[in-house]
Amino acid sequence: MPMALIITIPPHGSAFRQVRLVALMASLIAGGFADLPAADLKLSILEETAFKEAAARVDPSIVQIQTVGGLDRVGKVLTGTAPTTGVVVSEDGYVISSAFNFASKPASILVRLADGRQFSADLVATDRLRMVTLLKIEVKGLTVPVAAPKADFQVGQWSIAMGRTYDFKTPSLGVGIVSALDRIWGKAIQTDAKVSPINYGGPLVDIQGRVMGVLVPMSPRGNTEIAGVEWYDGGIGFAIPLVDIQATLDRMKAGVELKPGLMGVDLEGRDIYADKPVVSRVRAESPAEQAGLKKGDLFTEIDGKKVVNQSQIKQVLGAKYAGDSVKVVVSREGKSIPAELKLVDKLVAFEAGFLGILPDRLATADEKGGVVVRYIYAKSPAETAGLKVGDRITKFNDATELSIDKLTDIVARVDPGDPASLTFEREGKASTVNVKLASVPDAVPATLSSVAITPGEKKDDGPKVGRFSRKIPGHDNEFWAYVPEDYNPDHEYGLMVWLHPNSDTMEATIIKNWRPICDLRGLIVLAPKAEKLGGWTLSESQAITDSIKKFQEDYSIDDRRIFLHAYSSGGTMAYHTAFKERELIRGLAIVSSALRTQPPDNTPLYRMQILLNCGDKDDAFRTVQATAAGLKRLKFPITNMIGKGRAHAYAPANELDEIARWVDSLDRI
Amino acid sequence: MSQYTVIQRLLFSPLVALAIVSCGNPASAQVQDPLAYAQARIVKIFGAGGMKNLHAYSTGFLVSPEGHVATIWSHVLDSDEVTAVLSDGRKFTANVVGAEPRMDVAVIKLTGDVKDLPFFELNDAKSASVGARILGLSNMFKVATGDEPVSVLHGVIAAKTKLTTRRGAFQTPYEGDVYIVDAITNNPGAGGGVLMSLDGKLLGMIGKELRNAASNTWVNYALPMTDLRDVIDQIIAGVYVAEKKPDEELAPERYNSLDFGVVMVPDVLFRTPAFVDRILPGSLAAKSGLVSGDLVLFVNGELVQSCRNLQSELGKLEGQDDLKLVVRRGKNLIEFEMRVPNKAN
Repeated sequence: MPMALIITIPPHGSAFRQVRLVALMASLIAGGFADLPAADLKLSILEETAFKEAAARVDPSIVQIQTVGGLDRVGKVLTGTAPTTGVVVSEDGYVISSAFNFASKPASILVRLADGRQFSADLVATDRLRMVTLLKIEVKGLTVPVAAPKADFQVGQWSIAMGRTYDFKTPSLGVGIVSALDRIWGKAIQTDAKVSPINYGGPLVDIQGRVMGVLVPMSPRGNTEIAGVEWYDGGIGFAIPLVDIQATLDRMKAGVELKPGLMGVDLEGRDIYADKPVVSRVRAESPAEQAGLKKGDLFTEIDGKKVVNQSQIKQVLGAKYAGDSVKVVVSREGKSIPAELKLVDKLVAFEAGFLGILPDRLATADEKGGVVVRYIYAKSPAETAGLKVGDRITKFNDATELSIDKLTDIVARVDPGDPASLTFEREGKASTVNVKLASVPDAVPATLSSVAITPGEKKDDGPKVGRFSRKIPGHDNEFWAYVPEDYNPDHEYGLMVWLHPNSDTMEATIIKNWRPICDLRGLIVLAPKAEKLGGWTLSESQAITDSIKKFQEDYSIDDRRIFLHAYSSGGTMAYHTAFKERELIRGLAIVSSALRTQPPDNTPLYRMQILLNCGDKDDAFRTVQATAAGLKRLKFPITNMIGKGRAHAYAPANELDEIARWVDSLDRI
Repeated sequence: MSQYTVIQRLLFSPLVALAIVSCGNPASAQVQDPLAYAQARIVKIFGAGGMKNLHAYSTGFLVSPEGHVATIWSHVLDSDEVTAVLSDGRKFTANVVGAEPRMDVAVIKLTGDVKDLPFFELNDAKSASVGARILGLSNMFKVATGDEPVSVLHGVIAAKTKLTTRRGAFQTPYEGDVYIVDAITNNPGAGGGVLMSLDGKLLGMIGKELRNAASNTWVNYALPMTDLRDVIDQIIAGVYVAEKKPDEELAPERYNSLDFGVVMVPDVLFRTPAFVDRILPGSLAAKSGLVSGDLVLFVNGELVQSCRNLQSELGKLEGQDDLKLVVRRGKNLIEFEMRVPNKAN
């Protein structure tokens, strides 16, 4: 049957050739070359035997891991209570596993060897880059598996994913092929064998019974223990090459937590595939600064590899630890300059530079280009340089064709204290001045006149105005909203997203206090409601996000002034949503609620300004002050308002007026 | 449908390239073309359901020439009559003959003048070991209609295991070993489909969509045909009598740690580890040598992951049982044995 000939079983490695040879020999014995289909059936049966033999070879090195105690969820993901898997990496009791298996921070870890012996295990160290964890048990004479060398890895070769969770006696196995190499920025083998909590921590084995890698969940977008678990059994699984683990084993045995290595440069632009790797900023006290890298340097080589875009740098750097060295070549004014950097795990936090102006939103939108000044901050670099309201900034350092976004981005990327030159037009005359940038001030301007908004025409078919309630499309949540009655789409409106505390929408309070502010300062209130009024669940951040996107479609919204406002228990949801949706949300105004999770780093890519408001007699006062201090350490712009003598309560009218001025200056530059 | 079309259709899928190898295998005496053989014996079943997003379709396979079809016991069979569509597109109504809910199996029979249908010979069913290559055939997602052949998936047996071993991890009553496979076989409508070896031997019946609550993953499994066939035969013969098992008390609380003189730490979290707070002097535990600070890890071989687990395991004990505890003390695991005392009622 000639059709049998079209069978192309994927592997092309040496293992495959071996098996094939055996198959052909077997078919010779069975009855000769003429009988090809029989040979191919024998081949597939031999392959099946090869899977089983490969598995049997690794079997003694696969251990079962059980945990006791610990969290029942990590983020949104439930942690399992099922056994998990590990692989012996040295004869004297070291076992490697996936960091996922210990995300619940268990109180006790048990390791059961293939021979049934059981031991209490210590967690020695975790590799935060490759997300594997090293365990130690008190035993000698363990069977260490053979590691497959990287040179033998080939896309298309058989790969067998194994675990010891279902049936203790026989490890489970799933068969697939290697789908790709050097995935997740150079770290992982990708396989289409089924990888899931059933075998995380187990080995990925080649057909000769050598361990290629250790199975882990992984995602190019996320670096926690649980990132990538949503892809389980999806035909996209990952394994960390065992040879890479062996290379760091001594450090891990010594109890060193391995962390991703950082250079300390920000690059220009946001598209890592299209944009050239040009340094936009060298972080203070970073390896890049010590190596003498400068703003404007263009990376041309990294560890001997030529690079033309930013992703190629990430590919090399993504596999490196703090403490590792990297050799780079940059091009500066036509000259090639080599440098060697020793990577670190932590950088001094990014702090945005500040010029001290508010942009005139409407005037800047005209055809002439440049950014028109609406307001000058007292004692700011802009005031010192003699800028005045109505001036049109046309050039900042080398950048021309300025828009509000462009100027905001460029100014933010200059370190506070660093000089810059600025060109502006006043009454048709251009002048250039030097400024020294400052930090973003904590204080809100004491007075700030609103931007006059000409009332829009009333249209029956226009978007809904006034106060109304609806359902969020695609979700079970409802929202209420207030849009100024004289809404005019020619103006851009700020968007306040109100997240109510548990069991109380506070609709009456919010509408009473905020309606005048909205009318005065051009602000829309959007108030999604928790599906169960009793409290938000974190997954509802999607409904909140979708409602914001809907309002962006339906109304003329200023993307720079979308912020979340919350009181008390609503704050948890606000922090969560704002730090999850960094591309969308630009501000947080939180009354009487502390941040209880680790915030992300401040970055020039996603601007975030935070206002905290809490009474000094409030139960939450101390934790809110700690939140303010913590966020300030991370260099987020923080306005910390303290209500004198106020117990746990929403902000009073005079404080709301200050919050309103903060809102109206969210687009400060 | 001709054999040729089946193969032609399947040829486009690299997934079944392996199957085609075996299709051409003259060594298999009974089955010349395992896929065509199996396809002719598979039935698409449409029935009740449709409420609350439950799908109203499943898969079955012919087990007698008179139109007996074995399938999964599910809500699809809740109505008096279901519709069965054969591989040649013929449509029959069918009635439920009998079911064994504990094994998740049911038999339906096509009504009307039905005879000489192709069927699977259950006696030819065999078992397979971990690593064996398999094909799964089912009408998953109702993607095949009329005379279209059902979908074929390939994979290997990933494990052979009991689904009930881990307390409460699975919602299934089946207590025997099942085949776990590494193909995503258990999709909507796939229940009642067939798992077979490359040489066309029946291995199992694809089970329900089932979630493993201990690892929070979906499980792809099939019930071994060698365990099902007697039940299926007996249901057809009308002699099947469901084995009466005494209803087990769901969560007996016959004993708790205090009965042995062990005071546990306060159970404050969902997963408070089972640490011993103190041991009552003169108690059974004191005589055995348990001390304050011990972490109880196993009760008669069952891992206890929390105080709650411990109490529920102790609750199952009966007077004069042997109680074997494994505790962690420092880095060591220590085993203790004691006899469960009788309790005055």
